[in-house]
Amino acid sequence: MRKLTTSMCAAGLLALIATAPASAATVDDVIAEGKAVYMGKSRGNCISCHQINDPDANLPGNQGPPMVAMAQRFPDKRLLRAQIWDASKTNPITIMPPLGKHWILSEEEIDAVVEYIYQF
Amino acid sequence: MKKLITMMAIVLLPNVAMAETYDEVFEMNRAMYGKGHTFSWEGKEYSTNHPEEIEASVEATKENADALIAKAKAENEAAAKVGFEWKLTKGIIKDAEAASAEGDYSKALTLAAQAKYHARLGVQQQIDAEKNWHLSVPQ
Amino acid sequence: MRIIKNLTIGMSLIMGSQLVAAAGSGTTLDTVNPEADRMALRSYYQSRFPDSELSDYVNGIYAVDADSRSQWEELEEFPPYEFDVEEGERLFNTPFANGKGYADCFENGGIGIRQNFPYWNKEQGTVKTLEQEINECRENNGEAPLKWGKGAIAKVSAYMAWTSRGKVFDIKIPEGDKEALAAYLDGKEFFYTKRGQLNLSCSNCHLQGSNIRIRADLAGPALGHPSHFPVFRSKWGELGTLHRRYKGCHQDSRSKPLDMQSTTFRNLEFFQTYMSNGLVVNGPGSRK
Repeated sequence: MRKLTTSMCAAGLLALIATAPASAATVDDVIAEGKAVYMGKSRGNCISCHQINDPDANLPGNQGPPMVAMAQRFPDKRLLRAQIWDASKTNPITIMPPLGKHWILSEEEIDAVVEYIYQF
Repeated sequence: MKKLITMMAIVLLPNVAMAETYDEVFEMNRAMYGKGHTFSWEGKEYSTNHPEEIEASVEATKENADALIAKAKAENEAAAKVGFEWKLTKGIIKDAEAASAEGDYSKALTLAAQAKYHARLGVQQQIDAEKNWHLSVPQ
Repeated sequence: MRIIKNLTIGMSLIMGSQLVAAAGSGTTLDTVNPEADRMALRSYYQSRFPDSELSDYVNGIYAVDADSRSQWEELEEFPPYEFDVEEGERLFNTPFANGKGYADCFENGGIGIRQNFPYWNKEQGTVKTLEQEINECRENNGEAPLKWGKGAIAKVSAYMAWTSRGKVFDIKIPEGDKEALAAYLDGKEFFYTKRGQLNLSCSNCHLQGSNIRIRADLAGPALGHPSHFPVFRSKWGELGTLHRRYKGCHQDSRSKPLDMQSTTFRNLEFFQTYMSNGLVVNGPGSRK
């Protein structure tokens, strides 16, 4: 139930922010893809450094900040995207890999992971 | 105090200046919007697609695919020369060659573009690293 | 917002730069000061982990993390490298076909000398490591060299470390020798330089990131790093050399890794071991 509420909430946010109108089904797909990227060792592997309040998050690391209050921390979702794309822009010695700049993830995967973490 | 002000100027100036270069504006837009977005710089319009994506958008022929593969190889050699060859690049080039051999030129172009991009960023990384490594040294 | 961010970066850089002047080490051949680097690294760890004894850093992550320490201490009751040390001793004492042996190649018959490696060899103009001289000893006596990463070379090295336990590292950079200093600087630069598709430096994990979890793993502190090699690593299920680990780490940044015993890896070992001067040899070790 909680999951349903969050995804509906995310759908609402998406409808507000996304340029193209998205149906609930595709939003769910995007979020599921984002979660797979977040957890996947050979994909984003975000979980290796960032805690997230998802029951499927197993043994998260703590090198980076936890994924909480994302919407408050990043009122402009584009800036969150930019942070994932290249965190070394604001901190040249950060341990966080530049996931977009170094084409570790595709642009679509980054969009998906932004939607996934923006729920938290 | 004077030293502090000089330091401040040294530190802040590049940030201000960099924000005006094409590369900076390109990167900022790519980071925020991904590919296929249009932005303007000094009165002209540009796309957030990077050079390799543009190179890969040619007609999918054997000649075009093999030409881009050759460019990727050359760029990767440049990266290796400065000691910044990435782990996966050679494999991606091999996959591109295999795709070309099988006649899947579109796939070959995409892979070659990615390999060339990776190699070019490796070369760029060496330049950035040279500038920044001292920031990590404890004092 | 952007201005604030820039200011923050600016301020932190300023504070950093001010300290550079005070500590007196830099990033060029003219400004680099190994002793200042060593003291700075020590105080970095002392302020980060005030409860840990400096001498304990030879125990890697177990110096700073109490939970993993108790597991490790249990493991060390029946050390997994025990048989390797015995086998290393046997190999060390087995004569070559020409009747000579390892003992003939090293000072003090090869016993209790681990703390002197790596060292700057002025005649050859390069850093020499223990493993390198083990293989040179073999080749000079008509034997085939051993593979660098594991197996016999790690065992012989482990035995030699074992006979040196408790001896204090004292790596020297000869006064006024610019070439030796350049080798040190090359190692230092390698350690702090981001590389590979993941844009990671050694220091990202082993300095900034030490004792912070990457998934369930804790990266060990750089101070004391080389003291306990070769290492029986649970992940390997066997003994391996320092350069095997270097290669693995380098590759983990998604770089095409350098070769074991390449000049730069030897320079890295030179830098890292110099940083650990004053600490004791306690190899071989066991690690996760």
